[in-house]
Amino acid sequence: MALLEVRDLHVYYGNIEALKGISLSANPGQIVAILGGNGAGKTTTLRTISGLLRPRSGSVMCAGKSLVGVDAHVIVGMGVSHVPEGRRIFNILNVEENLNLGGYLIRAQHQLIKERKAAVFGLFPRLAERRGQLAGTLSGGEQQMLAIGRALMSDPKVLMLDEPSLGLAPMLAKSVLKTVREIADRGAAVLLVEQNARQALAIADHAYVIEVGRIVLEGNAAVLAKDERVQKAYLGGFESVGSA
Amino acid sequence: MGDFLQYTVIGLTVGSFYALVALGYTIVYGIIRLINFAQGDLSMVGAFLGWTLLVSFGFEHLPIYLALVIAFVVPMIGTAVVNLGILQFAYKPLLRRSLLAILITALGMSLLLQNSAELIWGAAIEAYPPNLLPSSGFFVGPVHVTYVQIALVVASLLLMGGLVAFIQGTTIGTAMRALAVDHDAARLMGINVDAVIRIAFVLGAMLAAASGVMLGIYYVQIHFTMGFLLGLRAFTAAVLGGIGNIPGAMAGGMLIGLLEAYTTGYLSGTWEDVVVFGVLITVLIVKPTGLFGERVAERM
Amino acid sequence: MIAQLTERPVGRVYATVRDRLGRTPYWSRVVVSLVAIGVAVIFWNDDYVTAVAVSVATYAMLGLGLNIVVGYAGLLDLGYAAFFAIGAYTSALLMTQAHWNFFTTLPFAVLFTGTAGAILGYPTLRLRSDYLAIVTLGFGEMTRITFNNWEYAGGPNGVLGIPWPNFFGYELNTQADFFIVGLFLLAIAMIFAEHLDHSRLGRGWVAIREDEFAAESVGVPSLRLKLFAYVMGGMWGGLAGAFFATRIGAIDPTSFTFQLSVLILIVIVLGGTGSLPGVLLGALVVVALPELLRELSDVRLLVFAILLVGMMLLRPQGLWPRIRRKPKPFYGLQEEEPEDVAARILREHQVQMEERDRRHAAAGHKVPAAGEILLEVDGLVQQFGGLRAVDNVSFSVRRGEIFSIIGPNGGGKTTLFNCITGVQRPKRGRVLFDGRSIVGLRPHVIVSRGIGRTFQGIRLFKNMAVFENVMVGLYPRHRTMTWQAMLHTPGERKDELRTLQESRRWLSFVGLESMAGQLASQLSYADQRRVEIARALAAHPHLVLFDEPAAGMNPTEKLELVGIIRKIRDLGITVVLIEHDMSLVMRVSGRIAVLDHGILIALGKPAEIQNDPAVIEAYLGREDDDMGRLTAQEA
Ligand SMILES: Nc1ncnc2c1ncn2[C@@H]1O[C@H](COP(=O)(O)OP(=O)(O)OP(=O)(O)O)[C@@H](O)[C@H]1O
Ligand SMILES: Nc1ncnc2c1ncn2[C@@H]1O[C@H](COP(=O)(O)OP(=O)(O)OP(=O)(O)O)[C@@H](O)[C@H]1O
Ligand SMILES: [Mg+2]
Ligand SMILES: [Mg+2]
Repeated sequence: MALLEVRDLHVYYGNIEALKGISLSANPGQIVAILGGNGAGKTTTLRTISGLLRPRSGSVMCAGKSLVGVDAHVIVGMGVSHVPEGRRIFNILNVEENLNLGGYLIRAQHQLIKERKAAVFGLFPRLAERRGQLAGTLSGGEQQMLAIGRALMSDPKVLMLDEPSLGLAPMLAKSVLKTVREIADRGAAVLLVEQNARQALAIADHAYVIEVGRIVLEGNAAVLAKDERVQKAYLGGFESVGSA
Repeated sequence: MGDFLQYTVIGLTVGSFYALVALGYTIVYGIIRLINFAQGDLSMVGAFLGWTLLVSFGFEHLPIYLALVIAFVVPMIGTAVVNLGILQFAYKPLLRRSLLAILITALGMSLLLQNSAELIWGAAIEAYPPNLLPSSGFFVGPVHVTYVQIALVVASLLLMGGLVAFIQGTTIGTAMRALAVDHDAARLMGINVDAVIRIAFVLGAMLAAASGVMLGIYYVQIHFTMGFLLGLRAFTAAVLGGIGNIPGAMAGGMLIGLLEAYTTGYLSGTWEDVVVFGVLITVLIVKPTGLFGERVAERM
Repeated sequence: MIAQLTERPVGRVYATVRDRLGRTPYWSRVVVSLVAIGVAVIFWNDDYVTAVAVSVATYAMLGLGLNIVVGYAGLLDLGYAAFFAIGAYTSALLMTQAHWNFFTTLPFAVLFTGTAGAILGYPTLRLRSDYLAIVTLGFGEMTRITFNNWEYAGGPNGVLGIPWPNFFGYELNTQADFFIVGLFLLAIAMIFAEHLDHSRLGRGWVAIREDEFAAESVGVPSLRLKLFAYVMGGMWGGLAGAFFATRIGAIDPTSFTFQLSVLILIVIVLGGTGSLPGVLLGALVVVALPELLRELSDVRLLVFAILLVGMMLLRPQGLWPRIRRKPKPFYGLQEEEPEDVAARILREHQVQMEERDRRHAAAGHKVPAAGEILLEVDGLVQQFGGLRAVDNVSFSVRRGEIFSIIGPNGGGKTTLFNCITGVQRPKRGRVLFDGRSIVGLRPHVIVSRGIGRTFQGIRLFKNMAVFENVMVGLYPRHRTMTWQAMLHTPGERKDELRTLQESRRWLSFVGLESMAGQLASQLSYADQRRVEIARALAAHPHLVLFDEPAAGMNPTEKLELVGIIRKIRDLGITVVLIEHDMSLVMRVSGRIAVLDHGILIALGKPAEIQNDPAVIEAYLGREDDDMGRLTAQEA
C-alpha cells in the first residue's frame, strides 16, 4: 500500500459535487503531479486530504491511518504538509515568526528549528534578508517563497504544493521545482499541483489529469508529457497559436 | 504640584487594574475579533469569589501571605472555568457564523453574569476585610504612598510581565497572533485552534479576576454592577493603546487611570467620562490605530 | 397517484401567489402589512396593548435607522442613543421654550442630528469598525452627560411638560393617534431603506463591508458612502427622538443610556441584521419580552439574558434573517447575440471615451491621440525604511499600446502600480496621466480619471455574486442621484438596468457569463482573475493595470487571456501588464520595462529585451526552453 492513498473521493460544496470520485496514490520519493484546467478540482482535492474539507464519501489513508474526519492540525502532526493556494501567510507576523509557526509542532526543539530555518534561508536568500519584515508587506513572489519555506519547516513525509511556482520569476520557479525534486529524493512523497505543466511533468514521476472532478488520465509523467491529449490541453498553448 | 503627584499615584494604581482587564480584551480580540463585553463582569466575579473566600470562609484570619495566595489563585482559577464555560456554550457555536451575533451574545453574557451574581451574592454592597494589608504608608515629599498601592501595582506589573513574556516569547504566543489572520492557515501549521482560543480565554479571565480581587482590596467595597464601568474603562484603554496590541493595552490602562484621577481631582467626577472619551476620540482622529498602532500589513 | 394530482395544482397556486407577491412593488406590501397591523391593534382597543404597540413602533423606528448604519454600511455603532437624545431634546426644547408646533420642530430635530452625525462621522469614519464602536459609545455617553449637566435643558430633571402635537387643529393625544403616526413613519422608513438597499448605494455598502480597500480602488467613494449611512441613520434616530419626546411628554438623560443603544442593536441583530421585517420582529421581542417577564420581577433580567443568548445561539442569523435571494443575474434582460455584445461594448466604449475626451478638452487639457503619451512616470521613488522599492524610475506609456513590466520578485513592480493608483503615496517623483498629475489623489478619484486595475493577490468581493462584483466596478459611472435611489424613480431603474446589462456584456467579454450568478468565492482561482479583469474594465478606463493576470492559468487559458488582452487593446484601452510568464509577455507587449531592485534596468521592444545581457542575468536566466522555442517560431 502506498504512503498516501486516496480512494473514490466525493466532495461537495453545498449541493454542488466538486469531486466525483477521485483516486490517487503517492509513495515516498515520488513526485505526483496533478494537472487540470481551472475549476477542475485540484485545490479541492488537496484541501480534502489536509482536512480542511470533509469528503461526503471515500477514503484518505496516510501510512495506513485514515485521515477522513481527523482535524487538520492533527493531520499535520501525522506528517502531511500543505502549501495552500493563495499563500495564506500570516501577514501581521514577520518572516521569522511565520517560519517559527511552520515548525509549531517541533517548537520545543530549538536547535532543530534553527537548522531548518537556516535551510529555508539557504533556499531563499531573499527571506533571510527580510527576516524582520512583516510578511504582509512582502512582494507577491516573496510571499510565495515564505509559504513554501513555512511548509518545509515541519519536514513533512507528504508535501502537498498548490501551484508553488505561482508568482515566481522564471528562474526562481525553476529552482523551486528543482528543490521539490530534491525533497522527494530525500524520501518525501510530493503532490504537486501546477499550471506550469511542462516543468511539472519534467520533474514528476507520475501524473494525474483531473477534469470537472474526475480523473481522466493518469500515468507515468514522461509518458503523459508525450500524450497527445495532454499536449493539446496543458502544454500546447502558444505553439498552437503559432501554427494557426 | 503636590496634588498633581498625589493624583498621579492614585491614577497609576487604578490604571494598573484597568490595564489588567484591558489585556483580557486585547487578547481575546486579537484572536477572534470579538469585543468581549463580559470581560469587566469576569472581574466582578473574581472580586466576589475572593470576598467569599476571605470573608465568608474566614480565610482572612489565616497568615496574611497564605490568605493572599488563596484569595488570588482560587478566584483566578474559578473565573477561568467560568470563562471557558462561556466560550464553550455561548461563543464557540457562533465563532464562524456571525461576529455581530457573538457581540450580542457577549452583551447577554455580561447581563447574565451580573444578574447571576446578584442572585448568588445579593444586591447589597459587600466589603473586603479593611485591614487585610497594612493601611499605612510613607511620604515622598508631599505625596502619600501606601504599601497597598505599591503591592498592587507591583503585583499587576508582574502579571503583565508574565503575560508579555508568554505572548511575545513563545511560539504559542505567536500562534495566538496568527489566529487573528487566518484560522485555516493556522490549522495547516498544526496549531490546535480551539485549544489556543481556550488558552486566551483562560488568560483573559485570570487577569480579570486578579484585577477584581485587587479592586476589592483597594476600594474595599464591591457590588455586582462594578464590572460595567471597569469593563468600559478597560475597553477604552485597549482601544486607546491600539486594540490587539499588548503593550498598548497596558499603556492605555495606565493613561486612562491617570486621566480619571486628574479629572476627578481638578474638575469633578461628573466629567470623567467626557474627558476620557474626548481624549480617546482625539487620539483616534490623529492616530487611527491607537497610540501604539495595531500591526496592519496588507498588500494588493 | 391521486395525491400527486391534487397536490400539483395546490403547489402551483402557492408558487404563483408567492411569485405574484414577490413582484408587487415593495411599497404596496409594506403599506398593506402595516395597515393590517394598525387595524388589528386599533380594533383590539386595549390601551395597554396600544401603548406597547407604540413602544414597539418607536424601537422599530430606531432599529430601522441603526440598520442603515450597522446592517447596510457595516459600521458598528454603540452610541446610537445619542441621536435619539439630540432629536428628542431639540424638539422638546423648541416646543417648551419657543412654543413651536411639533411638526415645525421636526426639520430641526433632523437637521441637528444630521449635523452632529456629520461632525462626529467625518473624522472618525475612517476608523476600522471596532474602533468606531468605542468612539460611538463615547459619543453616546458624552452626549448624555452633557445633557445631564446642561442647566438650560433641565439638567438631570430633563424637560417636562412637552405638549401634545397639534396637526392642523387636531390634537394628537391618545396612544392610538401616536400609533398611527408611528406606523406612517415606519412605512416611509421601510420603503426608503429597501430602495437604498437595492440601489447602487446598497451595492457600494456591501462592497465596503467585504473589502473596503478594494472597493475604494475600483471607484467606490467609501468615506462618502459611510458618512451618508451614518448621517442618514442619525437623522432617522433624531426623528424617532422627537416622536418619543412628545409622546412621553417628559424626557430626561436617563432615557438615553448606553443600555438603550445596546437594546437597539439587539433589535436589529436579533431580528436579522439588514432585514427590514426582522427589525419589526426584533423590536416586538425586545419590547414585549420584558413585559411578559414582568411576573418574574427578581429574575427578570436574568431570564431575559438567558433567552437572548439562547435566541442568538439558535438563530445566529436572526429571527427573520435577510434572505439573500439566489441572484438571478440577468432575469428579464433582453437576450443579446454574441456578436452583438462585442459590437455594443465597442460602441458604448467609444461613446464613453469620446465623452471623456471631450470633457477633458473642454476643461482645457490636451487629449493625447493614439501613440501619444498617456501615462508618464518621472523620477518616481518609493522607500520603505532603508529599502528603496522603486528607485528613480521614469518611463512613459503611449495611448493604445500594450506595455509590460517584468523583473525579479521584489523588483518593485507592484509598488509602482500602487504609486500610480493612489494606494500609496510615492516619496518623490511625478505621475502624469492625460497630462495631469495624479499623485496624492484618493484611489477612487484616480479610477474616475480613467485608470482601472487588478490585484496580484485577488481582491474580489467574495460574498457578492460575480455579476455584482462587476456592477460595483461600474459605480463611478452612475448618473442618478441619491434621492432618486431612495424613491426608486424610473430614471434610477433605467440606470440600474443599464448597469446590469453592461456588467453582463463585460462578463461575456471575458467569457464568464455562465458563472454570473455564483458567489465570487465559489469560483476557481483562474476564473476569479478574469472577474477582476471584467470589474476593472467596467468603468471604461483609458488605462488598465493588470498585476499578474495569468498567474494560476494553464497554457490554454493563458492563450485565451492573450486574446482578451488584445481585444481590450482593440477597444482603444491602453494596457500595462505585470507578468512573469515570458511567452505571454513576449507575445502581447509592444514594449517592455524591466525593474530590478527598484531600478529600471532596461526598456525596449521584446526582441531587444530578450537579448539584453543585463536582463538575462537578472531575470530570464540562460536556458529558458519555452522562450527558445518561441523565438525560433517567431523568426
Ligand atoms: N467555496 C466554494 N464554494 C462553492 N464552490 C466552490 C468553492 N470552492 C471551489 N468551488 C468550485 O469547485 C470546483 C473546483 O474548484 P477548485 O478550486 O478545486 O479548482 P482548481 O482545479 O483548483 O482550479 P484552479 O486551477 O483555477 O485553481 C470549481 O468549479 C469551483 O467553482
Ligand atoms: N510596506 C512595505 N514595507 C517594507 N517593504 C516593502 C513594503 N512594501 C513592499 N516592500 C518591499 O519592496 C520590494 C518591492 O515589492 P513589490 O511588491 O513592488 O515587488 P514586485 O516587483 O511586485 O515583486 P513580485 O513579482 O514578487 O510580486 C519587495 O522587496 C518588498 O518586500
Ligand atoms: Mg486551485
Ligand atoms: Mg508584485
